This record gives sequence, structure tokens and C-alpha cells, in this order.
Amino acid sequence: MTRVLVVEDDAQTAAEIAAALGDHGFEVECAATGQDALDRAVADRYSAIVLDRMLPGGIDGLTVLSTLRGLSVDAPVLILSALSAVDERVRGLRAGGDDYLTKPFESLELTARIEVLLRRRAVPDRQTMLRVGDLEVDLLKREVKRGGRIIELLPREYRLLEYLMHHPGQVITRTMLFEEVWSYRYDQRTNVIDVHMGKLRRKLDEGGLPSMIHTVRGSGYILRAPD
Amino acid sequence: MRLTDLPRTTSFRLSVLFLALFGVSSAVFFGFLYWQATTYLNSSVDQWIQRDSATYLTAPAEIVQRLQTHAERDLGAWRPFGLFDASGRYIAGNLSALPNRPVAFGRYFEYKLERNGKEAPFRGVGYRMANGDILILSYNVNEIYGFKHLLLDAMAWGGVLVFGVGIAGAIITGLGAVRQINGITGAVERIVTGNLKERLPTRRGAGDLDRLVYLVNGMLDDIERLMREVKGVTDDIAHDLRTPLTRLLGGLERARRRPTSSEEYAHAVDEAIAETKAVLGTFSALLRIAEVEDGARRAGFQRIDLGMIAADVVEFHAPVAEERGVQLSFDTDAPSLTQMSGDPSLMFEAISNLVDNAIKFSPTGGCVAVRTFFYKGRIGVAVSDNGPGIPPEEREAVLRRFHRLERSRHTPGSGLGLSLVAAVAKLHGLSLTIDSSYPGSCVTLERDAPSQVMPPPAPASPAAAGEQPKPEAHAA
Repeated sequence: MTRVLVVEDDAQTAAEIAAALGDHGFEVECAATGQDALDRAVADRYSAIVLDRMLPGGIDGLTVLSTLRGLSVDAPVLILSALSAVDERVRGLRAGGDDYLTKPFESLELTARIEVLLRRRAVPDRQTMLRVGDLEVDLLKREVKRGGRIIELLPREYRLLEYLMHHPGQVITRTMLFEEVWSYRYDQRTNVIDVHMGKLRRKLDEGGLPSMIHTVRGSGYILRAPD
Repeated sequence: MRLTDLPRTTSFRLSVLFLALFGVSSAVFFGFLYWQATTYLNSSVDQWIQRDSATYLTAPAEIVQRLQTHAERDLGAWRPFGLFDASGRYIAGNLSALPNRPVAFGRYFEYKLERNGKEAPFRGVGYRMANGDILILSYNVNEIYGFKHLLLDAMAWGGVLVFGVGIAGAIITGLGAVRQINGITGAVERIVTGNLKERLPTRRGAGDLDRLVYLVNGMLDDIERLMREVKGVTDDIAHDLRTPLTRLLGGLERARRRPTSSEEYAHAVDEAIAETKAVLGTFSALLRIAEVEDGARRAGFQRIDLGMIAADVVEFHAPVAEERGVQLSFDTDAPSLTQMSGDPSLMFEAISNLVDNAIKFSPTGGCVAVRTFFYKGRIGVAVSDNGPGIPPEEREAVLRRFHRLERSRHTPGSGLGLSLVAAVAKLHGLSLTIDSSYPGSCVTLERDAPSQVMPPPAPASPAAAGEQPKPEAHAA
């Protein structure tokens, strides 16, 4: 069972996060203050920590984070904050955070990011060949094949696919794709990414093959081997 | 402000101060002149007396004889000389009695004598002879007295005139100031009570107060505009949010009223979620614009290249343009010369909004051109299309929140895109101009090229730069 510690002082927000993660099959524990968070995180092993940037009681989120890192607690940490300024984000990541999510956020966004964080820790990133079903990506040659047939992709399409191939079976939101593949950070509200994904999907499914990229209702995609 | 406040006005006080300074300095000057003139005149009389005294003092035996001769010659008694014994009795000369004041021997003194029924001033000196007799020699100094009086009169009248004119001037300028201040306070009171149309009264002229008035009036123009904008934004928010909220409510009520299948329930819930997301999206867009306008994001500035970001934007939107049959092109006449300091994500978003708009409003088969340039010390990016364009009278209005052209009401969008572009442009010191590019419109963001020498452009893609922003000092 994957255990996640949620550090959030607002009881209602904490309950919502816990519910969303619980639905996703995580075991969730909550801490409302920085001290409580430190005590729990040091005493217990958590697979991931969701940490609010602003906490009452003198110990704020970044202090908790740097203390934990100092004590070599290396669970992946997702920072939540109402502050969206770039330097806030940078400060959060410098203090040892693994990802940064600005409030308000959708629960899908949070769970998808937690999944990716857990996965990133679990799988060492030294593969040179990614395979999902009959789809394979050669990271060295930057070559994509489906059922042995080479598929020509534009560089951006290749990067979209590569990201999805690193996280098969996981929900990847549009915002995550935009951040990872285009490397700009803001809430994309256009359908441009859907159009990119549509083109990629058409190329992968050419010749009437069963679809591998599925749209998750709401705001994301999932790559799955066809049944 | 009443007339009694006059002495408190700066101009009145200054006038009085200068009047006092001028009065004191001219009094000192005239006093010195007066002192010098009288000293000079007196000393010349004294010299005459000195010369005459030699005649008498050197020959004591003939003194009576000589005094008589003098009396015979000096008929008008302009120079009364007289010899008296030790007890003051008259012996000889044309001075019949000792002066009506004590005489210090060897010292010059002034006294009055009755002459033709009038007192006349005389200046003289007394000597005690060896036998105890007293010799008095004196000159009429009527002319010197006349001159002295003339001088004093001139001083007095001049002083009165200067004081009168000075005070009158001080009152006039003071009253002018009082009147202007009264006008200003009146206007300010009316503004405070809510009449924002009111302006401070201006006069022709460039006094310090007038300059201040012009400045304050400019400020009031800004405040009025801002108030109008805030009111407009409030109205727009209310209007733009009421529509989706009404739709949301309607959908929920419909679902509640009619007992339907679970699929229909799910559909109603999905619609409700979509509407709520749209409302939240509008709110976060508003907050974003406010955040950008606050300038808070400037802390995350780093070196960015407009050309690189514009190329990314074009690449990002290319499939959409293709889908809509719009030709999207990117061109730069100055690769890597379009560097400045800024926030890459915000800049991407701004250019992306412009391109998105241009594609949205272009007819099928239209062209959208993105161009970055370095020209005459200015760098910038221009997005032009051959869509319907923006009428000149609407060009300022489209930058306002929620403003949408009448004909674009049916296309999707929040009416916040260009507001964000304007805010981002302002944050980066870029000027935003909307021109016609027959047909269609051309939006240009430009600024002076940063003056500092650019380090060679980072070979890394903006991707890497965006992920790990380096906090480097940004160019002013």
C-alpha cells in the first residue's frame, strides 16, 4: 500500500486532497502543522508527501522540507501553494521539492502528478528502449516503431510520446504535457495540446490499429497497450 | 480661506520679508551717506574757523582791534566772533553774548542764535586766552542744516513710498494666492465629495503652484480613468459570470426536477463541471492579470530571446492553424539579437494569445505572420493577420478586461486575452500598438534594445531555461 502524507492546515482542503488520493488507492495521513509533519515524516516512511507552502505555528512548508532533506528523508515532495510567481516555484524546488502545484488545482492534476513522482522514484531512468504493447521507442536513435513499422514523428510529437511512454498507464494532464514538452509553465486553456495529441494519435494508429492514447475526461491523457 | 488668512500666505510673507530686507539695507545706505556728507561739510567749516583762529591767537595784544575790524566787515554777522572776560562779560566783536550752552574750550560745538527773528544754526569753537578772556569764533551753518534736512526728508518720503507700494504689492500678490488657494480647496472639496469630473482651476502662467495644479489635474485624469475602468470591470465581471452561473443553475434545476436515467444525471453533472471550470478559469485569468499588473512576477526575470519564444509559439500553434486552413509563418530578421530580460512563460503566453486570436479571427486560407525584429535600436515581435481587423476606435478598448468586439461575441473566448497581453507587455517595458495591415490587423510589442552587451545566446533550448530559471540580474 502506498502511503502519502498530506500536510495542509485547512481541514477542508486536507479532506478533499485525502479523498482524491484515497479514491486513487493511496493510504493517506494528514498533518496540520509543521511540527506534526516533521514528527510523522521522520518516524514513518511515506511514499510521497503533499506539502502546503504556508503553515501555521512558526514552521512553514519550506522549513519542513529543508529539515526533512537535512534528515535524509527522501520521499518525493509535491509543494502546494497559493503563490504562483516563478521565483516562489524556484525556491520551492531548490529547498528540495520535486514538483510544485498552484492552488486552486483539480484533484486529477494532483493525483496524476503524485503518480508520476512515485513512478520517477521507482524506475531508474537508464533505459534506452521503451516498450508499451507493440509500440517501442528507441531513445538513442530517437526512433518509433509500432509492430515493427517505423513511424515518422515531428520532434515535438516524439517528445510527447516519449513522456507518455515513460509513464504508461498513468494519467498525464495537459498542463503536465505542456510543462514537460514545451517547458513553459502556465495554465493552458486552449485546445492546442489536444490538436497535437490528435496528430500524434493519428500517426500511431495509422492503418486501422487500435488506439493506444486515450483521452481522460477532464483534462488528461493515458497511454495503454490495446487489450 | 478668508482675508484674515492673508498674512499666512507664502506670497504675502515673502513680499513683506523682502520689503523689510530692502528697507533695512536702504536705511543703512542712506545713514552712511548722511554721516559722510555731514562729516565732510562740518570739517570744511572747522578748517575755516581754524584758519581764522590763527589770526587772533597769534597776536593777543591786537585782538580787540582785529575783532572790531572783523565786525565792521562782517555786516550780515555770518561769522559771529566775540571776546568775553572770564566772567562772561562782552569785551569786543560782533557776538554780543556767550552761546546759550556750556563751552568746552578747543572743541567744536553747535548752537543757535536769534537772527532776524529766526533761530539760525552756528558752528563754532571757544578758546581761553592767557589772561583768562574767552574767545568765541563761529560760522553760520544754515546751508549745511538745509542740506541735512533735505537729505532726511528725502529719506523719510522715500521710505513711506517704498513701504506703501511694498505693502500694497504684498497684499495684491497675497490676495491672488488666496484666491487661487480658495479655488483649489473648493475644487478639492467637490472632488472629495465624489465629483470626479471636477478639476483644479488653472491660470495662464507657469508659477510653481500652476505647475503643481497641472500635475494634480493629470493625476485626477488618471484616477477618473481608473475609477471608470474599475466600474467597467465590475460590471463586466458581473455580466460575464452571471451568464455561465445562470446556465449552471438552469442545468442543475432541470436535472433535479425531472427524474431521469443515471446517464442523463451524469451528463448534467458533466455540464455543471464544465460550466464551473469555465467560471473558475475566468477567475484565475483575472487573478493572473492582476498578479502580472502588480509587477510581482518581475522577480523571476531571466534572459529571454523573443525570437526563440516566438518560434516556439508558432511551432505550438502550427497544427491548429493547419487544421483551420490558415497559413502561419515565422520570420526573424535578427536571430538572437532580440534578447531582453523577462519571464519566458509570460512572454510565451502573451505571444500565444496574440497568435491564437489571429488564427481564430482569420478566414480560411488567411495568413498569420509572426515576426521578430531588431531595428533602429528597437527590438520586438509583431503578429499580423488578414482577418477582419480591429476598428481604430476600438483599439484601446480591446485591451480592457472582458471587452469583445460585437462581431466576435459568438466566438469562444473570455475577452481577457488581450488584457493579459497588455499587462505582460507593461511588465516587460514593451509598448503595445495595434495597427491596420490591410486587410486585418498587426499587433506589435516593442521596446528599446537593452543597452548592455549581450552575452552569447545560451545554446540550450528555452525549455531548459524555463525549467531551471537562473536568478540573474536583469537588464534595466
